[in-house]
Amino acid sequence: MSANNLVSINNLTVEFKTELGSVTALKDVSFDLPRNCITAVVGESGSGKSVTSNSIMRLLPDSAQTSGEIILYPQKSEPISITSLAEKDPRLRSLRGGLVSMVFQEPMTALSPVHRIGDQVAEAVLCHREVSKEAAWSEAASMLEQVGLTDVQQKMRMYPFEFSGGMRQRVIIAMALICHPQLLICDEPTTALDVTIQAEILVLIKSLQQKLQNSVLFITHDLGVVAQVADRVVVMYDGQVLEVGDVKQILKNPQHPYTCHLLASMPGAERRTTKESKQKNWAAGAALGGGTALATAEDGRQVREFVR
Amino acid sequence: MTQLLSVKNLCKSFGDQLIVNSVSFDVNESSTLGIVGESGSGKTTLVRSILRAIDPDSGSVRYNGEAGWQNLHELSAKELLPLRREVQMIFQDPFASLNPRMTVQTILEEPLVIHDLGDKAWRKQRVMEMLEKVQLDPSSAARFPHAFSGGQRQRIGIARALILEPRLVVCDESVSALDVSVQSQILDLLKALQSELGLTYLFVAHDLRVVREFCDEVLVMYSGNVVEQGPVEEVFNSPDHDYTRLLLSAIPSPDPDEKLDPLDRATLNLQLA
Repeated sequence: MSANNLVSINNLTVEFKTELGSVTALKDVSFDLPRNCITAVVGESGSGKSVTSNSIMRLLPDSAQTSGEIILYPQKSEPISITSLAEKDPRLRSLRGGLVSMVFQEPMTALSPVHRIGDQVAEAVLCHREVSKEAAWSEAASMLEQVGLTDVQQKMRMYPFEFSGGMRQRVIIAMALICHPQLLICDEPTTALDVTIQAEILVLIKSLQQKLQNSVLFITHDLGVVAQVADRVVVMYDGQVLEVGDVKQILKNPQHPYTCHLLASMPGAERRTTKESKQKNWAAGAALGGGTALATAEDGRQVREFVR
Repeated sequence: MTQLLSVKNLCKSFGDQLIVNSVSFDVNESSTLGIVGESGSGKTTLVRSILRAIDPDSGSVRYNGEAGWQNLHELSAKELLPLRREVQMIFQDPFASLNPRMTVQTILEEPLVIHDLGDKAWRKQRVMEMLEKVQLDPSSAARFPHAFSGGQRQRIGIARALILEPRLVVCDESVSALDVSVQSQILDLLKALQSELGLTYLFVAHDLRVVREFCDEVLVMYSGNVVEQGPVEEVFNSPDHDYTRLLLSAIPSPDPDEKLDPLDRATLNLQLA
């Protein structure tokens, strides 16, 4: 198990206490993140994609009640049970931004508007390693070059407002990768970007993963993006995992009606599916509820089966 | 087919930066014109100057309304008011475009009040009809925007735009903040309303897949200039301009075997004529 998987999520359930009673955001979610692999989690808003990734980073608010387990198997050290770490445990600090780091959706809000780009990227190094400021600065420079910025020394002295959205997202990626995390979480990293910039960032994330051989958890609702970056796909709906499998299995031969519905919702999908089948898939998708356990299909993928 | 809108040599600059450079196009009634381009290409400035939400520097916008052809830029604010009924807008952000302190009833009624239409009972009736048209529950009228999801809020925005029975509706990135499945429901709704009410859409978007599915004609904008225009299938299947090719090459295909291979800007001829 631990030889091939970097992270195992087992029976994760997350409930939020609110004034109007409790809301279950995740129901018994289990899946693994293999090493050296890009796993995409797809689903619409409210399906629990971001709650899952925030649980791995332990970024959920106090109102969340978690049961189940997330275990991280770092390459050269003991496994860490993320869910049972105490809030003050020093391992939690080394985890965030060290072993596991994150790229957020909105590149403007994820950067501090009042600090220079170079200082923001170097800060990550200074937080996690005992190095001099100069060493951190030069490491930041080489990382920024790796993510495709030019005139790095000059750009490092600039502020985020002087950067375009695509350049900002490259900076965020550099910040996330500078401590060589074993897991990189990308939470809708291209949703706020133009289609041309999105294509550049997707190609960058894919090529960096191949170079660094780390694991990537990629959250998105766009199946076109999934097809282009992911090796494996986890389909989520209403806090549950519906289908897990290889990207080609899931996109070319989806088993779950909801996955069919997502595919049929893609703009331009009518060219491939008729309106009627779209409606039928939607009806099937809308009748979700009362799911049973994940069953393993013949080709090895896992599909949630339903009882009506 | 009747022409509804005719834009000629429209220009707008902010400071010494030219944002919209001599844009001309015509729109037929009951058709949909898509306007695509990257951010900063001038799409929003273009539609806003057409609506006279901002005043353009030069050029003309002629609109074939109830009162016949009129040049929108020669009209005073008072003369423009009846035309405001005929031209409405659906915004991008379903959260920012609804007043959180007004109920849905008040939000939908407001355009009728501004144009002094009907009495209270009739307006209430109209609100109910509109809610039904956009497939929202009649009980929604008493609730506040925070009680609705993004897709439902966008339906409220559509109902507000359509309650005045406009002929031209400008959708500025109206579905880009929505999830794919909600997006396809809203597009289906907009299409159904178009065939029922004979609406004409100006559809601003950066997602080319949506434009291909939804629009009849398309206008490709690049740094304030229209670099290509024509029927959607023609432009998408055989693009003439390198910029259109760049945009098309950046679309991620849902087929994992079709690898994304965006064109490199440096190798393209992006010079403007």
